Order: sequence, then C-alpha cells, then structure tokens
Amino acid sequence: MFKRKLIEIRLKLATLLAAALLMSACGGSSGDGGNQPPVQPPQPPTAPTTAELNAASRFAAQATFGLSYADIESLARQDLATWIERQFNLPVSDHLSIALDIVRRRDAGEFDQFEEDIEYLIFARRLAWWHRTITADDVLRQRIAFALSEILVVSDNVDDLIIYPAALSDYYDTLLTHAFGNYRDLLRAVTLHPSMGIYLSHVNNRRSDSVNNIFPDENYAREVMQLFSIGLFELNVDGSLKLDNSGEPIPTYSNVEIREFARIFTGLSFGGPNAFFGKQFPYFVEPMRMFEAEHEPGPKYLLNGTVVAAGQTGLQDIDSAIDNLFSHPNVGPFIGKQLIQRLVTSNPSPAYIERVARAFNGDTSGVRGDMQAVIRAVLLDPEAAATPTSMADFGKLREPVVRYASILRQFGANSDDDFIANLGFYLQELGKQHPLSAPSVFNFFLPAHSPSGEIADAGLVAPEFQITTSNSIVGVSNLIDFVVLGGFVTDAPQPFAPVSLDFQEYADIASNVAALLDRLDIVLTAGTLDLSTRQAIEAIVTDLDDLNLRARIAIYMILLSSDYAVRQ
Amino acid sequence: MMTRRRFLSHSCSLGIASATVTSTMLSLGMARTAAAQSAPGYRALVCVLLAGGNDSYNMLVPTDNDQFAEYNSIRADLALPQSELLALPGTTGNGRSYGLHPGMSELQSLFANGDAAMIANVGTLLEAYDAQAVENGTAKLPLGLFSHSDQIAQWQTAVPDGRVAQGWGGRIADLMQSANLQNGVSMNISLSGSNVFQSGNEVGEYSIDATGNGAPGLNAYADGTEFGEFKKRMVDDLLAVQQQHILRREYSRRLRAAIDAQAVFVDAMQTSPTLNTDFSPGYFSQSMRQIARVVGARDALGATRQTFFVTVGGWDHHDDVLENQANMLPAISKGLQEFRDALVELGVFDEVTTFTTSDFGRTLTSNGKGSDHGWGGHHIVMGGSVNGASIYGDYPILSASSPLDTGRGVYAPTTSVDEYFAELARWFGVPPSELDQVLPNVRNFYSPESNQAPLGFLSV
Repeated sequence: MFKRKLIEIRLKLATLLAAALLMSACGGSSGDGGNQPPVQPPQPPTAPTTAELNAASRFAAQATFGLSYADIESLARQDLATWIERQFNLPVSDHLSIALDIVRRRDAGEFDQFEEDIEYLIFARRLAWWHRTITADDVLRQRIAFALSEILVVSDNVDDLIIYPAALSDYYDTLLTHAFGNYRDLLRAVTLHPSMGIYLSHVNNRRSDSVNNIFPDENYAREVMQLFSIGLFELNVDGSLKLDNSGEPIPTYSNVEIREFARIFTGLSFGGPNAFFGKQFPYFVEPMRMFEAEHEPGPKYLLNGTVVAAGQTGLQDIDSAIDNLFSHPNVGPFIGKQLIQRLVTSNPSPAYIERVARAFNGDTSGVRGDMQAVIRAVLLDPEAAATPTSMADFGKLREPVVRYASILRQFGANSDDDFIANLGFYLQELGKQHPLSAPSVFNFFLPAHSPSGEIADAGLVAPEFQITTSNSIVGVSNLIDFVVLGGFVTDAPQPFAPVSLDFQEYADIASNVAALLDRLDIVLTAGTLDLSTRQAIEAIVTDLDDLNLRARIAIYMILLSSDYAVRQ
Repeated sequence: MMTRRRFLSHSCSLGIASATVTSTMLSLGMARTAAAQSAPGYRALVCVLLAGGNDSYNMLVPTDNDQFAEYNSIRADLALPQSELLALPGTTGNGRSYGLHPGMSELQSLFANGDAAMIANVGTLLEAYDAQAVENGTAKLPLGLFSHSDQIAQWQTAVPDGRVAQGWGGRIADLMQSANLQNGVSMNISLSGSNVFQSGNEVGEYSIDATGNGAPGLNAYADGTEFGEFKKRMVDDLLAVQQQHILRREYSRRLRAAIDAQAVFVDAMQTSPTLNTDFSPGYFSQSMRQIARVVGARDALGATRQTFFVTVGGWDHHDDVLENQANMLPAISKGLQEFRDALVELGVFDEVTTFTTSDFGRTLTSNGKGSDHGWGGHHIVMGGSVNGASIYGDYPILSASSPLDTGRGVYAPTTSVDEYFAELARWFGVPPSELDQVLPNVRNFYSPESNQAPLGFLSV
C-alpha cells in the first residue's frame, strides 16, 4: 500500500537525519570536519495523492459507517493496520447507557406532554443506536457490531424485545463488547443472552417430560447451527462445498443432532432478582441463569462423535455444546465469508475466503476465533484494496441502513442539543430496513441471494438486491431527496432537537465544478465515479448559480446514482 | 427482478427502438397479443404465505370423540378444548368430523357457504411417503426437511430436490406473460417484497405496499412543475449512463423500471372502483384490500392473468402457540372474509382463487407451550371456483402409533404440494403440456394428461 511506502521513506529520512546530526555533533571542530554535508531541514509531509485518498475512502466505506473528507484525508496519512489497532483499543461506546438515560428522563416526566409514555420505551433503543452509530469514536467497533447483528440476528418483531429498551440495547452491547474478542466468547454470550432466549425461544425451555409428552424446544438448537456457526453443508476452508462420492453436498447435521442440542439448551431462565424457572418477566442486563432441575439430564450426542457425559452441570453442557460447534472446521469459512460480504464484497474469491478462514482458525495469531485477526484479514486483504479494474465483479450494493447512516456521518450531521436523534421510521418505511428489525432470524437478505438475469447467469450473488424492490428502490431514492434536498434529515421525536447536515465545505469549492466533483468522487465513490455519470452531473450543476444548491444537487445526484449505490 | 429485459426482447422482435418502450407501446395502443392460456377471461391466484410454519393441527382439528381424544392426548398442553372448536359441516363419511380454531368464525361461514375448502396434510415430497423406505434409509426425502429456509423455498419453487431460484408462479408467468399488456407492470404482484414464488427466468415480481396506491412515485419526478422537470432531467440523465459494472447495471435497470412502471400502475389504480367493503386495520386485511383494488384495476392494467403474493410472518410458534394463534388466526379469517366480500363487489369472486401455504405444519407433540418444526400441514383455499364445504386430501388418523409419524408427532404428508399446486395451475390456465415445466416434480404424483383433477377442489 502507498501509505506503508511513505512511512518507510519517512523513517529512512529520519534515520539519515539522526545519523547526520550525530556525525556533526561528534565531528565538532576537529581537523576533518570540513567535509560534512549540510543538515537537510525536515520536509513538510506531502499532501496525500488522489490515489491515496481514494484508497482511504474505499477502506473507510468497508470499515466504518462513513467518514467525512477531513477524516478520509487524515486516514490517508496513516498506516491502515495502525489505524485498526488504535480502533481495537478504543473503549466501547455502549448503547444501553444512552437508552437507559432516555428511560430515566421519561420516568422523570420529561416527555409527558409529547407522546404516550410507552412510545419512549420503544424509541429508546432506536435513539441510542442512531446517536452512537453517527457520533461514536469507536467507528470500527460500531460497524463490526452491525455486521454481526446481521448474522447473530435478534429483532424487534417480538413484543418483549420491542417494549423493553434494555432488550436490544444490551444485546447490541454484547456484540460491541465481543467484536474484538473471541468468536467462542461471542457465541456463548449470545447463547445466554435473554434477548436471544426470547427470540429463539430457549428461555424457559423445559427438559423432556415423557409423562406429559413434552420435548425440548428445538428452535435455538437449529439456528445456532444453521446460522450462527456451521451452516447447512460441510465446507472447505475456501468456502466451497465439500462433495461426497456422488458429487452431492454433505449436510452438517440432521434432525437427530438438533434434538440432542435441544436437550442441552434446557433449564435456562431470566436472571435478576427473584429468579425462578418459568419466570415470565424478563431481565436483560444479566445472562440467563441455569436451573438444574429443569436441565435435561443424561449424556448428549453431538457432532463428530462427541459425547457430552452425563453428570455435568447445565452450563457445563452448554459450554460443551459451544465448544463442539466452535471447533467445527466450517466456522471459519462460514462466518468469515459472511463478514467479507457484509463489509467488502459480495463475491469474494475462494482465496480471499481462505485467507480469512485461516485467520479465524488461528493461523495468523495462534488463537482460534480471534476476531481481531479475522477483522484484519477481511479489511487488509489485497482483494479488499484492489482497484476496480482488477476484478470485474468486485463490490457490493450498499444496504439502506448503511447508505443512510453514511450520509449523516459524511456530511456533518449536527443538532443544537448535540444528540443525533433519529427513530429510523422514515428509513424503515421507505427503505424497508432498520437495525435489529429484521423480519426473521434470516436477516433482511440471504447471503446466497442471486438476482435473476445477468447476475444469476454470471454465477454471482448480490444479497442486498433481495430488498431492492420496485417499491424500496424508489423509497430509498426519496429518502435521499428528503434528507439532502428537503432538509428532513431524521425523524427526531420531541423534545430532541432536529438534525441538520452541513454542506458548507462543498459550497465553498462549488464555484469550481471540477474541484467539487473531484472531492465528491473521493468521499462518496472512492474514485470509481463513471466518467459519463460525472459528465451528466457536471452538465446539470454548471447551470446552477447558487453555490449551496449546486453542491447539494451534485451530492444528491451522486447519492442517487448506481455508481454510489453499488460500491467498488 | 424487473420486467425490463423481457420488455426489450419483446420490443426488439417488433422492431421498435428500445429507448422509451413503455410510452411508445402505450401510445401505439398496442393490443394485447393472443393469450397463451387454455381458459378465457380473467384469472388470478392469490398466494398467502404463513411464514414460519403454521401449527395447522390447531387450525383444523378432529372433533369426533375418538379422534379428539387422540388429539387431546398427543397434543398435551397444546390441545384446544373440544367445545370451543367451530364445527365444519360434513364428514368424510366414516364417522369423522372436523372443526376450526375458535377464532376463525368467518372461515367457518365461508366453508359452510361453499366459498372455501380445506386441504389436509399437504407437504413437500419427492415421492409418496414410505415408512419402510425411511427405515431402510432408501427414502428420497426433500432437502433440508424441517429447515425454514429450505422448506419455505420448496413451497415456492416446487423443487424439493434442489435449491433453485425460480418459483412455480414465476414459471407460470414466463409461460403466460403474453396474456397481459406489456407495460412494465409484471403479471406477478407482491405485497411482501421480493419472493421466490414469483421469480421466473424472465418475469419477476412488481412490489407494491398496502398504503395509498401501493407504488410511491419518485418525488417530484415529471410532476408538471419546473422542479419536476429538473428532477426528471437529473434522474433520466443518470439512468441513461451505460454502467460498466454488472451490479451497477442491475441497479440502474431496477430504478428505471420502477419509475416507469409506477406511472403506469398509478394511472391504472385511479380506475379501480371504490370498495364499500370495510377492511380491518391490520396488516393482512390491508394487504388483501390492496390486492382487491389492483384486481379492480385489471382492465386498465391490461391484465387477464395475475398472481399476488402476501407473506404473513410470525408463525414459528416454538413458544406460546395457543396465545399466538388466538391473536393471529382471527386476522387471517377476517381478512379472507373481507377479501371475499370485496371480490363479490367487483364481480370477480369466481375468477380469483386464494390459497394458503406455509413452510410446514408442526409437531403434534408439545415442547411445553409450543411446537417444533413438522412436515405436512393443512391449508385453506377460497374462491368462487372452489368446490367448497369439503376437506380434500387425507386428514391423518391421529394415533400414538400412526405409520405417518416420523417421530415426535411429525406426520408425513399424504398429499404433495405438487398436487395442490397442479390443481391451481390448471385452473389458472397452464396447459397440460406445460404442467411439468411449471411443476418439475408433478409426474411423481399426477399425470398432466389426466382428465381428472389432481384433488378436485376447483371447477375449471
């Protein structure tokens, strides 16, 4: 990468400079000192080139919810690996404290005059999510957590998860907390989270009762395998399907194994004060608790011949189950490929998947499941940085949540009360997507979705097209219009201050249309704006005399374009 | 997937420049080409997907004492009280009787009037269920049995031994698309976004929603104002760019097609008669109301054949099945009644057949308040052409030792989805010679050349 070269050069110069200083210091005024070369003054750092800015912008689109031009420029001066390390070390900007503060204000009567009380309980986790996502410094962590939330799905389409603010905020904090830890710990924390217990119904899951013909609930057992760890079929490390002797894919499990795992996920109920098995009143800020009397006894027969011996505690059984899944060779390629798809490109090469899977397997860091190694592997892979011409199908369609959040982040969303208040209902209605609001545990779109026509014919997938319908594509276009041209940036409830965007820096350079488009191409399309698209925009905006309007129309047109919608 | 591609191929064969094909075709007053179907007039199929696997053993329940006793015993804490079930008149002639969930009184009336029928124990099958073959390990079973993603797909694709991206509704539309005016609005209209059922090789769904006229317009685009013209210029110029990248090309295609189709669709919806029927405010009823309105606009749309798709989610009742169904089944029952009334108002009740689908039925046995993934399930069909007031297929004899029980009260289906769908497809006008194109597996259960209907619930 260009950045590394520049740093090497600077280091070398610094070394030479230090050596020159030393020599002149030692030289002093002895007899042979006259031939020392004069000390060169330090060179001012050169401004990043357009290519470097584009590379930083591309990386920003992959690793964050969007960076402003100034932040892209700053990023272009840094080594990306170092930037990632710095992000790893930033503290978590949690969502729960924000949500609970809103609840506290509501309890104190602050919102009585505005809406029905219950609404602010529903609003709280949304307000927390949007404010943090738009303003928090731990931008990489927030982006990774969102990607994880599309794999380890819980959603507000279940009553208890919508009316209790802690439900989804604490769950999201679990993703944030473990995003840079180990996938095994993340899987365990998700398994024991009360929100997941509600969502996939293993809270208050009873042991078998043959007298009453009752069997353990199989829901979590199935989905933890199908979606959260190993998937449906045996995979090679490069993500390709393993095939049996007849050339058929090999299922990873059958209903038999599901029933065995179901027996393990029994006996859990809500924690908190006065906890008892069967308690209906949820408690979200503590993992679910195990009640041994309701935990299925006996040995359990898991994958790959593993037998969990009888006599373990319930939590030991759960740990054994998590270990059994976590150690399956599928996890690296199964989860790794999805992270690449969520962050970088819909159709990674098998080699890219393999590099990420191997990072998951511990090949780089020595620790299996090391999320930091995986994230580095995903974001710093040469394929992620590849220029558009080297892989014709590289890239992905931006999903509505990210597309909308990026507008706010890149164009200086601000408000008088320093709170970026957004409920996300506009986005949900127009774009048909919202964080933690998926229609099912299968998220908004499937990783394997392949739109009929040219894309399917080419053997490619494009998951985000699954929610890009005749209805939502117009909806998203209108959302961009309302936000950029109409000034309706968010749907902020009272008493929160409305949010505005700041286009001044673009208005300031708009008198030079080429300069305006140059900068926007860097910020929005990382240099991949098609020449014809650019010319179409230039022709339109050159006719506009008002520089503020010119800037906004240029921004609007790029945001509307296919060039922006599909990033490369 | 938009219909622009088919559009362009159609226009090319007629030697028309493809630039603004929609308006060109409309202004030339293109007569619809001869319909490629074997039944005249207008026909519509309305597919209601109960996503998640409806626990239909609590929707259609045996009420005769013997079978109810079995039901009550097997279902344990999930069993409904016998006295609350809504009796369905008529038995299968051997001492059996059936009733509906207490919350479905409207469906009970529809059934009694002959407007609706029930189809028993339908499910995905590759071949007729053979318990012995399952024992031996020689049975050919659908892929991913009990998995939501596979089963919900197979109810839409009718391909149980592969993972394909086209559905039987899409294949029908590929075959019969010339039945409709080619104006950019697909034969297949969805109230629930993209779906496999309506995806064909050429035809995809046109997505609308239940509010307003269903299709939001691009704000200000060509609205007659100065800004509207400016907006039109901006958008048209952007979309005229020939994109080099395959995904960008698809995006441009979709946005262009959506803008063009919306204009046609909204104009057509203005002609839809105002309905007197009141619809409940909930999601399902409002979706059905919108479908009725689109049906009312069929002439302006130039449509003689249409499919509609609506998903009602949330049926995966691993937990609280009694409470959840008590809330959700009444909404289905009311929505069907309201839809029927609206169709009667429009004079097209005979021409529209509504049918339910679901990933699977559920385990007869309980997991302690809920049920788990099953296989065969019971379904509803409604329409003027339905030979109502009957239960088709074979409602299983419930027993702890039933040969259909694959374990935990998961009963294998006795009617395959192919037979169910073949009946609907035939009625819709798919010629016998094309039936196995639409339903690749149908010959394992039904011979398309047969003069007899697969199940007999529709008069053709």
